Amino acid sequence: MAAVARSRAAIAGLIVPGLCVLTFSLVVPLGFSAYFSITDSAGFGEYHIVGADNYREILGDEVFCRSLRNVVLLIAVTIFLQNPIAFVLAAVLSRLSARVSRILRTVYFVPAVLSLVVVAKLWVDVFNPTFGVLDKLLRAVGLDALAVSWLSNPRTAVAAVLWIIVWQGFGWALLFYYAALMTVPRELEDAARVDGASWPQIYRHVIIPYIAPVIAAVIVNDVISSMKQMELIYLTTAGGPGQLTQFLGVYLYQKAFVTGEYGYGNALSVVFVVVSLVLSLVVLRGMRALAR
Amino acid sequence: MTERIPIARRIGTVALHAGLAVFAVMQLFPLVWMFVYSLHRSGDLFGGDLLSIPDDPQWDNYARVWVHGEIVRYGLNSLIVVTASTVASTVLSFCMGYAITRMRWRRKRIVLGAIVLGMVVPVHATLLPNFLWFGQFGLIDTRLGLILPYVAFTLSFNTLVYAAHFRSLPVALEEAALLDGASWPRILWTVIAPLARPATVTVAVMTFLTCWNEFIMANTYLASDELRTLPFSIIRLQGEYSGDYAAQFACMVIVAVPAVILYLWFSKHIMAGATAGAVKE
Repeated sequence: MAAVARSRAAIAGLIVPGLCVLTFSLVVPLGFSAYFSITDSAGFGEYHIVGADNYREILGDEVFCRSLRNVVLLIAVTIFLQNPIAFVLAAVLSRLSARVSRILRTVYFVPAVLSLVVVAKLWVDVFNPTFGVLDKLLRAVGLDALAVSWLSNPRTAVAAVLWIIVWQGFGWALLFYYAALMTVPRELEDAARVDGASWPQIYRHVIIPYIAPVIAAVIVNDVISSMKQMELIYLTTAGGPGQLTQFLGVYLYQKAFVTGEYGYGNALSVVFVVVSLVLSLVVLRGMRALAR
Repeated sequence: MTERIPIARRIGTVALHAGLAVFAVMQLFPLVWMFVYSLHRSGDLFGGDLLSIPDDPQWDNYARVWVHGEIVRYGLNSLIVVTASTVASTVLSFCMGYAITRMRWRRKRIVLGAIVLGMVVPVHATLLPNFLWFGQFGLIDTRLGLILPYVAFTLSFNTLVYAAHFRSLPVALEEAALLDGASWPRILWTVIAPLARPATVTVAVMTFLTCWNEFIMANTYLASDELRTLPFSIIRLQGEYSGDYAAQFACMVIVAVPAVILYLWFSKHIMAGATAGAVKE
């Protein structure tokens, strides 16, 4: 076994093809992006090296700051609102009969398997002020004043966009927590109950500490996927009204392909990658330390 | 005092079950609404009623979508690109997952680094450079130009799913096969691949779903109508038949249904795969 497990030909044959694809469509493009980030390229034609100008511009870019703020907001909503609810529901599901639990889990997860294009269009329609179901509902119960154009009203747009993202991601959060709760040995719980512990105490002192590593992993995952939100915003508000719902992924895309600032878009793209990597690393480290 | 605890507990139980129901409705209601509206006449959507199936369901809406939404052409395009991506990603991640868990080699860290990069780097950060980079090779507006990034962005997760699975397999079988003098590719194909079947189903289904639903790369790299994938039928109707709301709802249903069926069919594998990533991290 040892001889073959070190066979160079075998290892190369197994690794190289995959590594080539990764290098060609992921690693090299990042280098490409880094290069164009120091130019004033429009994506075509001639361009000049402008050094760190684009990066200096980013520092003073209000839309960039707003994008970051929206990401932080989304992370907060996910961790402090979506996750606790998903956890409680997962805990209830884990006590139900296997059949009921399976049916409900299937239901909760359906939105998560839909194309983002479907989800985006669906919610644009739900939030539509003339035929959308939400405003119809509000008017039906006499709350006409609340029936607004949710995605284009500056006071509701951010909340509406966050809602769509959280709605679609809910199934994942629930699934992760449910899977984690199913790994808790029954004996641990029984022992605590014999000792006279109440349900809240059992969860607090037995179950949650047991699945802490998973909770940490889910939070890391939340941070990464919040950073990566793009399509839902691009297809619903495109960052509007007035850049209020802007996210980094959408912003750099619009800069490059709509306003023709390809160089600047790439600088945003580089910052995007760096922030994603650093944030993931920091959260991962922090969570590992906490879980210990 | 002795009676109050059961009552409190019962109220708690009812509240929790009510919570379950409320969230089930919240997750499904928009989808039911979408289906119901797909059976209305466009003009009737502006009325006051919320959710009533019309007496004369307009199945005709679906027929219109089938033609105006280019369902057949876009659907076939999706099928070709997604199938190719799924096969390639599954095979490559099987190989990488195996080499990472079962073999010893130097510079493994570099490969692991590339894999982590594939998990963390947002797809959107590669859209800009790839537009020019792929252009250099004439890959823009081709199927291959879509398949390559699809494989790249599913490879990392798939490799981890395989790696987690291989770690749980005993090495005894491989050793026995090696002692029998079997060649390396032969062992992978006849011994390892059958053992890896559960992971393979998970990886293949999840990759298929991810690529089937993918939009932004297709939107960036494809220019010609001949190559567009299924999600574009929604965009197309929205643009060229913007007044035909009912048809737009029908189109969403048509695009959503294959994914939902695939999910219902393989939900066990999808759940297993989704959690393998998080739980075993």
